[in-house]
Amino acid sequence: MNSALSKPLEARVMLAVEKHLAVQQQLFYEARILDEERFDEWLSLLTDDIRYRMPVTERRFRKDRSAPLAFGGGYIFDENKVRLGMRIGRLQSGLVWAEDPRNMVRRMINNIEIWQGAEANEAEVYSVVTIHRSRIDGEEKQFVAGRRDIWRETDQGWRLSVREMLLDTAVVLDSNMNTLF
Amino acid sequence: MMKPSELIDQSTGAQRRKIYSDQGIYEQELERIFGRCWLFLAHESQIPKPGDFFRTYMGEDDVLVIRQDDMSIKAFINSCTHRGNRLVRADRGNARAFACNYHGWAFGLDGSLANVPLEREVYFNEIDKNQFRLVPVDRLSSYKGLIFGCFDKDAPSLEEYLGDMRWYLDAALDAFPDGTELIGATQKVILHTNWKLPVENVCGDGYHLGWSHAGAMKATQSGDLSGFTVGNTGVDLEGGMSVAGLNGNSVLASLDGVSGYAFYPDPALALKYLNENRTKVVARLGKFRGEQIWGSQLNMTVFPSLQFLPGLNWFRVYHPKGPGKIEMWTWAIVEKNMPDELKQQILDNVLLTFGPAGLFDNDDGDNLASCTSQSRGWRTGQMPVYTNMAIGRSGKRVGLPGDIASGIVSEHNQRYFYRRWQEHMEAKTWSEVPQYNLNSLETKDEQRTVQTA
Repeated sequence: MNSALSKPLEARVMLAVEKHLAVQQQLFYEARILDEERFDEWLSLLTDDIRYRMPVTERRFRKDRSAPLAFGGGYIFDENKVRLGMRIGRLQSGLVWAEDPRNMVRRMINNIEIWQGAEANEAEVYSVVTIHRSRIDGEEKQFVAGRRDIWRETDQGWRLSVREMLLDTAVVLDSNMNTLF
Repeated sequence: MMKPSELIDQSTGAQRRKIYSDQGIYEQELERIFGRCWLFLAHESQIPKPGDFFRTYMGEDDVLVIRQDDMSIKAFINSCTHRGNRLVRADRGNARAFACNYHGWAFGLDGSLANVPLEREVYFNEIDKNQFRLVPVDRLSSYKGLIFGCFDKDAPSLEEYLGDMRWYLDAALDAFPDGTELIGATQKVILHTNWKLPVENVCGDGYHLGWSHAGAMKATQSGDLSGFTVGNTGVDLEGGMSVAGLNGNSVLASLDGVSGYAFYPDPALALKYLNENRTKVVARLGKFRGEQIWGSQLNMTVFPSLQFLPGLNWFRVYHPKGPGKIEMWTWAIVEKNMPDELKQQILDNVLLTFGPAGLFDNDDGDNLASCTSQSRGWRTGQMPVYTNMAIGRSGKRVGLPGDIASGIVSEHNQRYFYRRWQEHMEAKTWSEVPQYNLNSLETKDEQRTVQTA
């Protein structure tokens, strides 16, 4: 997806049909509970070692000759479970006035590919998320991002352990990203 | 269009809301503010090698800043001199020449027209290529690593323009001989606000912090900042100061030497750095700046549209796109001799707090947009808004330049920002723009005056 993100696996091995469907259901379920602001339930879908990243994008020439930035471009999101908990704590504080009245949010998950992951109990999942937000008065905003996930099968079911996202814009078109991808 | 003298009332701190939405006023700003003032273009650290280029704006004009082969820096209007097409569309990079997408005219790093396709066949070798060089930005100057450009040949030097603000800037830009650098990609966000509203929000508005950002403070705060509390229930006016009256430039400062890192969830690394380097910085900057300014939460504003916050360490410029729209660009600023681990943590914290998904930044956008839209109505267009807090309560402080109000909650700096805006908008040329550095460092103490905006 992007040099700032991990290298995808070479192998293309499908999961057993039941597992494939279970992972796919989990993606839709996850999208719905985020739409419904059930953030604590969402946190419980993450492994404790979750890595959640979205780099800042710049527009460069294809044949750019410049040296890479010394400390990288930086990440819009570079979160572990504690940081995601902090973001959710803010959203749940009742003090984020931009979210009150609440915005109407709907996530669409498309182009889902589910493959056997590097470990026996892992799935490597590609998808595209479109987040449609109906904000103040007639303002409608949307974010489109590609995602590469690692989902891990545990005793509690499939849990998200890696999510790498690439936002498809170099200029963010909304005044906040009070949302999760 | 109303006259600038009717738009700002300095005695009451009132502004006509029209200044946030009127097209005619905006066009006059492009001429008299952005066409006249020194504007930040790039940091020297962003174009370290020959051929490195960085694309930015001066007002609505697209500008290209390029490191030359002799390591000097040049800046040009980023527009092909033939049919006007934008020459470079990448944000930054490195190149030996720039070819226009339209007909292939190619320009060298120094702006010279290097190649015209079919020059012999269709121009019959009659084109004077010297006449079609890229148009340079009229004036270019750097201050401690910050490159500024100016379209007005009559403008004062950059040093004069910054005036005594330099004394405060140096606490951030010159605490060490190696100075500073900007790190990270350019974080770009479109906001539907007039450009003056984010500037005044940062230049002087400590008032909104405990209320607008209550949720973010609750999530990230690890240390004290001037007694601020979630929900604006407390503040310590002795813990900070609002400094203005320096040619439109201003500073908000806490005075404890550590609170810059109050909104780092884990400030241990930063506090260790401050502690280990304090003696060296005091030796370089003196006792007051070394102990009470360096490391403190500071809001630095260089008129009209450059702001940076040492401590929280974001560095930002606003590009106007009409009266109701801006592009806001943000980077992280660090001291070059900070350890790499701390630089990385600072870049990360800048994005956590003031990036596109920043916990603090995401509180401001809708407020600024709504203050703008609430100036467009038939009735609201006739109404004023106010920065009338603590008028007349500022004065001199021994040894410190500027007209100073206590605390970082005062609206003092906003009044000086609008005063400067009015001075520029009223003046037909630079010679009519007053230059002032109140209570200048050169002033003898008995001559220091109390002057309020």
